[in-house]
Amino acid sequence: MNIDNTASQMRKGVLEFCILSVIKLGEAYPSDIIDKMKAANLNILEGTLYPLLTRLKNAEFLTYRWVESNSGPPRKYFSLTEKGAAFYKELESTWEELSNAVETIIGENGLTTNTTSTNQ
Amino acid sequence: MKKVININFQGRVVPIEETAYDLLKQYTDSLRNYFAAEEGRDEIINDIESRIGELFQERIKNGATCITDEDVNVIINNMGRPKDFADADETTGNSYTTGTNPDPLFSQSGYVQGKKLYRDANNKILGGVCSGIAAYFNIEPIIVRLVFIFSGIGFFAYILLWAFVPSSDSVQNGVRKRLYRNPDSKIIAGVCSGIASYFNINVWIPRIMFLIPFISIFFRWGHFGPLSFPNFLGFSFSPGTVLIYIILWLVIPEASTTSEKLEMKGEKVDLNSIKNSVKEEMKDVKQRVSVMGKEAKEFGKSFGSEVGQAAKRTRSSFGDIIVFIVKAFGYFIIGCVVLAIVAALFGIAIAAIGLFPLKDYLLTDGWQTVLAWGSLLFFIGVPVIGIITWLIRRLARIKSKSHLMRYSFLALWLLGIFCFISLIYSVGQDFKSGNTIKEENITMVNPGIKKLEVAASGKTRYYGEHGWLHFAPFANFDEDTSYVNNVRIRIVQSSTDSFTVTMVKMCSGRTRKFADTLAAKMNYTVQQVDSLLYIDRGISITPEDKFRNQHVVVTIAVPIGKMININKTLGWNHWEEFNGPWGDHNWDNSWDKDEMGGWENHYGDDLIMKQDGLYTMNGMKADRNWNTDENENRNDDRDRNDGSTPVIKDTTGGYRYDQTQNAIDSLKLLKEKQVQKVRDSLKKAKEQIDKSLEKLEETKPAKVEAFSPISNQYDFVLDI
Repeated sequence: MNIDNTASQMRKGVLEFCILSVIKLGEAYPSDIIDKMKAANLNILEGTLYPLLTRLKNAEFLTYRWVESNSGPPRKYFSLTEKGAAFYKELESTWEELSNAVETIIGENGLTTNTTSTNQ
Repeated sequence: MKKVININFQGRVVPIEETAYDLLKQYTDSLRNYFAAEEGRDEIINDIESRIGELFQERIKNGATCITDEDVNVIINNMGRPKDFADADETTGNSYTTGTNPDPLFSQSGYVQGKKLYRDANNKILGGVCSGIAAYFNIEPIIVRLVFIFSGIGFFAYILLWAFVPSSDSVQNGVRKRLYRNPDSKIIAGVCSGIASYFNINVWIPRIMFLIPFISIFFRWGHFGPLSFPNFLGFSFSPGTVLIYIILWLVIPEASTTSEKLEMKGEKVDLNSIKNSVKEEMKDVKQRVSVMGKEAKEFGKSFGSEVGQAAKRTRSSFGDIIVFIVKAFGYFIIGCVVLAIVAALFGIAIAAIGLFPLKDYLLTDGWQTVLAWGSLLFFIGVPVIGIITWLIRRLARIKSKSHLMRYSFLALWLLGIFCFISLIYSVGQDFKSGNTIKEENITMVNPGIKKLEVAASGKTRYYGEHGWLHFAPFANFDEDTSYVNNVRIRIVQSSTDSFTVTMVKMCSGRTRKFADTLAAKMNYTVQQVDSLLYIDRGISITPEDKFRNQHVVVTIAVPIGKMININKTLGWNHWEEFNGPWGDHNWDNSWDKDEMGGWENHYGDDLIMKQDGLYTMNGMKADRNWNTDENENRNDDRDRNDGSTPVIKDTTGGYRYDQTQNAIDSLKLLKEKQVQKVRDSLKKAKEQIDKSLEKLEETKPAKVEAFSPISNQYDFVLDI
């Protein structure tokens, strides 16, 4: 067991959920997603985002369209499909259950709920 | 000062420093490698590239004249290197990824689609070669390990693969370290400096390693015997390292572009990275051991279970297994053939180099020597180097840039074949004709002695077979003289009552005249001193005379009732008969008939010549060939000689001895038998006639007289 590994696994477990929830708010450009996550203090490498998006797209949770940009070639904007929305719902309920459970356990322990909340 | 180039990157024209471009290219290549197994590889990489392009544009918009190394590094750090992705893939990736196998390259079955052999850095024991191969073929690593352990060439192959197959780690780190020849600091071809930068050592270390044999050869020159060949493959003999250098030269590509040069040096090694890698290693050791245990367990399980189950586990269908088996079989056969060719060529090469000291005795100067060198280098050396090069290139998947090398190899080899055939023909010509055969009588000092002892003469009394290679008939040779062991001793019965010794010298040559002169020059002596007959054990030949199958036959004729003793000093020698041009002479073919054979078993024993051959002192026949078969043959001979007439003794050579008694006895027997037969038949006939006469007399009064003569006659005919 290795602490770094566990922490990064924790973070990565919710990554797809986070991405989907950002996209749910409206069509999103990958760097927008990164920016939003950074703003929420969830650091993610851009290089990991692209394969994730592609995988989600291949699983038909996401779709994209080309949007002309005023500088250079068109950009890809991602949006949720119906299937993706359903998947998001599922994840959401799972997350709620999980976070409630975790909160409860941590609350019992009387540990700092502070760190967990900032991380999310 | 840096060179700036313009590139078209994802639809944007970007001015970029050349070194920065190399960095960028390396980065995208590493991504491509990393995502090789991924379904949407091109899409992912396109997305990433277009994002990088955007970032570039931003930089330029902000006033940068061009993209620098630093810009690229910053962007790469933001995007993340494949190593960083690996962690992310761990959990978001495929569900069948197990905790023990965190490397996506090897855990995803999709990896096989990439079909590139890597050393598996995650499941390694030594260098990860076996697990890499196992992952490549989608089989259990333990199988490959067992094959490597139990096959003889395993170790050598392992080292080669370790050196030439890139580690899967290198893909993750983004910089793949590869072995290149370094053209920047080269002396011959940059092999040494390339090795030095690969292993991160001082360039002089490999250079000295290659040079040591050259230095030591000066010290070793005095001890450098002609047959110390086994050292050839070691480092103590310079051709070994020269060969290795040439092979490396051919195998290792030259680092010509900047990115290749970066690859050559690989990742920068500093204190931090060493510390990190050591830490990683230590962490892995424990895990690796437990993985090994698990693997072994799993292997046992899977071996017990059915093939189909195993196939499911390794995610390959039944068809894949068949394809794999067929492929493996094909590779096996190809491997065997290649191995056989290499082995054969090595064998020839070893023989050729072993024979090399004999070159002076065999070949004439000028063309033949040139041809010999040509065949050695091109006919043998070129395919050996070629096959080794091909194998290594194949294993390391280095693609040759052109067919030039292949064709030049082929051309050189054809030249080698030409040399070899011409050499064989030319040497064959030198052995074409035999000399004129003439017998030489050796004058005996004392031909009337009771016992003659045959001994090896002093000058060649002792020479051992030294060296590990022995070329019959060459018993011993050095720079000036060679002793050829082609001596044959024959013992026959003498027709007179004194010992006679004759000698025949034979050899081959380009022409009969040449062979005659060479035969005259042959230095071979037979000499009687008191009761001893000294003969040379070998024919001494000088390089000027050349070896042309020189051959001596000494015939010792022993009179009946006298003794001969073949000294033990001759005992261990080979008395070889050579098939040379003289084999065509008829008189040679008929030798064995009446000759004493078998005396070879009686070295040091006194043998006595009797009427019908050699006997030992306790009355046993010394001749092993004298059995019943032999006797029959003799009788056949006798028949050809018109049977009863006694064979005239061969007085000239004394090869024949008296055998008439035997023949006469058998003939007498035959004659008696025949006489007996005739007698018997006559007796019978007489009885028959008597009987019929009696009958006739009995029937005479009753029967008609007129018929009697006819019936009488009739009966008689029947009886006969």
